Amino acid sequence: MAWTNLAILGVGGLLVSIPVLLHLLMQPKPQILDFPALRFLKERNVVNQTRMRFRHLLLLLLRCLLIALVALALAGPMVASADFGNWVTMGGIGFLGLILAVVFLANWFSSNRNSLLLGIVGAILALVMCFGAWSAYQLFSTEGGGAILGDSGAPVAAIIVMDSSPTMEYQLQNQARFEEAKETADWLINQLPSDSQVCVAATDNDIPFFSVDVSAAKRRVETLEVSYNADSIGNTLAKAIPLLEKNPLERKEVYVVTDLTRKGWATDTQEPALTRLSKDESVSIFVIDVGVADPSNFSLGRIELSDSRITSNGELTIRSSVARLGEAAQRTIRLKIEKQDLTRPVVRDGKSLLPESFWEQTTLVDIRQDSTTEFSFKFSDNLATGTYHGVVEVVGADGLAVDDQKYFSFEVSQPWQTLVVHPSDVNPQFLLSCISPSSAALNGQAAFVCKVIEQHELKSIDNLKDFQAVFLLDPKPLQPAQWESLAQFADNGGGVGIFLGHNASSRGVADTSFKSESAQKVLGGELTFPYRRPDGDLFLSPQNLDHSIFTILRKIKEDVPWNRFPVYLHWGLEPATGDENFPTQTVLQFGNLNPAILERKIGNGLSMVMTTPITDPARPKGRSTWNDLTLVDPPPWVAYYLTSQIANHLVQADANFLNLQVGQIGSFRNDLKYFPETYQVFSPDLDKPPANVTTVKRAISYRFVNRPGHYRFRGAFDGPILRGFSANLAPQATDLTRVQPEDIDRVLGAGRYQLATDKDVIERQQGTARRGQEFYPLIMMLMFVALALEYLVSNLFYRS
Amino acid sequence: MAVEKYLKPEVINQIKRLDLRAQFVVKGFLHGLHASPFHGFSVEFSEHRKYNAGDDLKDIDWQVYAKTDKYYVKKFESETNITGYLVMDLSESMAYTYKQTLTKFDYAICLAAALAYLMVNQQDPVGLVTFNTKIRQSLPPRSRRTHLGNILSLLSNLKPDGDTDFKHSMEQLASMLRNRSLIMVFSDFLVDEESTMDALYRLRHSGHDLILFHVLDEAEVSFPFNGICKMRDPETDEELKIDANGFRKEYVKQIEDFREGMARKCRESGIDYIPLDTSMQFDKALMEYLLSRRARG
Repeated sequence: MAWTNLAILGVGGLLVSIPVLLHLLMQPKPQILDFPALRFLKERNVVNQTRMRFRHLLLLLLRCLLIALVALALAGPMVASADFGNWVTMGGIGFLGLILAVVFLANWFSSNRNSLLLGIVGAILALVMCFGAWSAYQLFSTEGGGAILGDSGAPVAAIIVMDSSPTMEYQLQNQARFEEAKETADWLINQLPSDSQVCVAATDNDIPFFSVDVSAAKRRVETLEVSYNADSIGNTLAKAIPLLEKNPLERKEVYVVTDLTRKGWATDTQEPALTRLSKDESVSIFVIDVGVADPSNFSLGRIELSDSRITSNGELTIRSSVARLGEAAQRTIRLKIEKQDLTRPVVRDGKSLLPESFWEQTTLVDIRQDSTTEFSFKFSDNLATGTYHGVVEVVGADGLAVDDQKYFSFEVSQPWQTLVVHPSDVNPQFLLSCISPSSAALNGQAAFVCKVIEQHELKSIDNLKDFQAVFLLDPKPLQPAQWESLAQFADNGGGVGIFLGHNASSRGVADTSFKSESAQKVLGGELTFPYRRPDGDLFLSPQNLDHSIFTILRKIKEDVPWNRFPVYLHWGLEPATGDENFPTQTVLQFGNLNPAILERKIGNGLSMVMTTPITDPARPKGRSTWNDLTLVDPPPWVAYYLTSQIANHLVQADANFLNLQVGQIGSFRNDLKYFPETYQVFSPDLDKPPANVTTVKRAISYRFVNRPGHYRFRGAFDGPILRGFSANLAPQATDLTRVQPEDIDRVLGAGRYQLATDKDVIERQQGTARRGQEFYPLIMMLMFVALALEYLVSNLFYRS
Repeated sequence: MAVEKYLKPEVINQIKRLDLRAQFVVKGFLHGLHASPFHGFSVEFSEHRKYNAGDDLKDIDWQVYAKTDKYYVKKFESETNITGYLVMDLSESMAYTYKQTLTKFDYAICLAAALAYLMVNQQDPVGLVTFNTKIRQSLPPRSRRTHLGNILSLLSNLKPDGDTDFKHSMEQLASMLRNRSLIMVFSDFLVDEESTMDALYRLRHSGHDLILFHVLDEAEVSFPFNGICKMRDPETDEELKIDANGFRKEYVKQIEDFREGMARKCRESGIDYIPLDTSMQFDKALMEYLLSRRARG
């Protein structure tokens, strides 16, 4: 409890002695009346005298109470708003107890004492006193930790958490929510008492700090920008809370200025700092809503490219979706792909200039209310090799512009040169149909150009450097030098794919050639013996779909018909362990948990081994088939998918470094044989001068992917070299769905914060939190009651 | 109505002469009786009738014969032989009035005067005795009209003063009375109840008829006081500070108990008890007297 003017309470205490003195010294003299029948009065005098004294005492108490209430009202007691109800309850109990006590004593001293009434009133009084004592204990045991009240001009240690997430760019009445938030924060800082300390903590992942003074805090607010890689409010607050806890100022306040969209309040684990904050009632928390209750918006979904690398005349399919928040509408979606311009980007007059000519396509999309509509574009042209950037955009303005554009990049390259090696009794056709279909190969659109040789011809291949990948289909034993050659090929960045089959067997176990040290380097482990499951109850059975070859399968993981393709035989392969330089990981398992596909990193390249072949016919002569993966019926699309993805992975075409999410690190291989060592980086912020990056460990890394758009890398190596990638926001980053109160409760604690929408409400809540709830009206009411009672009682006594 | 208004104490208080007060009270009372069940009661002397053969000769009113030369029989002449004593309490408590109108003593005197007037007019001998701590004054009973003047004169000069010794006074009175008499006591009886009743029992046992006119002030019955008051007994000067409001209910009950107690004891011993207060009309007391007289006639 706090007091506006505590001194008056002391003076009031002294003033209470006045009625006592008046009562003792200046009792009014009663009128003297002759009365012959005095003897009848004398008989009842004792009881009457007691009653009279009681009434005098009651009058005295009422007068003392009156003055005490006046002093109390002037002293201005205040309590924390949260405790106000408890105090009123306490007051009510006290008042009830007082009335019951008066009734009890009046009945006690009455000549017509009613024992039943006395008992009932006494029992109720005892109950009320017990309840009052319990309430008082509850109140005072917690009040020490209550809000600090009193002088509203005392300095405040305030944390202002600014929600700088992309949704704060939502425009309402031509004003972005973030501008509104900044105005509110500026106003809040102005409202703070002088000598207050302010920490402006935005959700932009910056380290929070207390500004040196209020002016610095205001300048910090002015310079804040929307962050496209925003952290959650809970995490931002959790970083700032320790600063607040260490601050020596007693009064502490937290303001969260937000649009109250859902993503800002998402939290998986409760930070310890937030738990402390929710329990520390000395900190007042205000959540200030600058958002829009019923937003209207179009937002593009994630861009999906059929391939991130195509050949010069290959076809690119761009799929995406547009979501509508609001009423049904029709919108034009436009695809723009920059034409290659080796002179751009370039800096002229401090500005970055970009290519200005595009290929364009449009499509008209009907979108129903609060639903999502998918669309796609197909693009092909006779493209020169290099990196291309494109954008898909919703034509026309809406509330939130940042999600109306999605960026993408793709590379146009020459087909990958691939060597396919097979023994004479093995048909490579299935592999070829997967990676280089004949129709595509004919018109030059195939991603892979395959050179197919029999295994005995492998000796004649002197240099594997001309290839990006080598496939061994159900190989027979190889010479150690050949294994070494393959390992060297991988170490130099090549990819080796091996599909093991019956040719690796020698008298029922693995041939010694496959157990040699050099073979194990490529195979990633020791080949043991074939596992037989002739009943057809063994299938491919992935434990997870984390590997990049499963990217597409992740969407339909429940629907992949693994159990339609039985495996009757597969090799056991013990993955090599303990070699950190060449780690082996199991990519896919069988149902018996034996590895089906293993991957081993070897230098700059890798090898992938499948322990059952993709070349076995349904009914081979003289032996059993190893699996039904490649049968015509049902269509062998699982084997087709796995084979093509393995091929892409071996040439590292699936390394989707071209399309990132904001916040990720942009990184791609930079072979100095073909590319320059350093590049200039042009970020989407065209006002920023380009930065220089240098190749480190055959790779280029760029950390500052902090806004959506194209990141262009320009270098010189026998002429200009243009590379780059695109970054987009995650779709949930622009989700305008409003947060539920329970989500806020989870972060700040239920009942710990006050929600405000306008400045008047904030001012009132600030006042209530700083000064507390005043008792003045209640005390005045009690004072009038006491005054009326005093008037009644004194009139009853002294009227003539 | 014009005459009956004199039965009201507040009206009679405006008349200063006691003889007139008595006359007005009685006339008012008798006028009211004509419409009452007591019509025909021989309280006036117009009911002479002509002598008829067979009437007792000694009933002839010779005075009328002397005036009219005709024989008239006076039927009730022989019944008016009750000797009455008006016994007045002179204690200081009788001088009490709260409303500053009629004191208990004034009321009692007025009533006594009216009774004296009535008795004398009925040819009943009536005497007067006053007392406080002892018998102060007395007039022997006479039925002459001139005696009425003596009684009224004495009554009008009485002043209440001092304490009361009711028992002693009644003992004195008993020793004074030779014949069986009707003793009408006017007092507030604010004395020791037991000794009072003892004295009354003694009078009653001596063969006298007693009518007690218990006169209290209106305030002594209704206790109209409020707030803190200091009460003083005018006889003893004793004082008591009280909360009047808290006392009223109990006091009124005590007074009622007191009067009921006296009424019960009087009824048991054949004493007529008439509780009065200064706000009551006089006819009640007079009617009681007449009823008592008829019972004895």
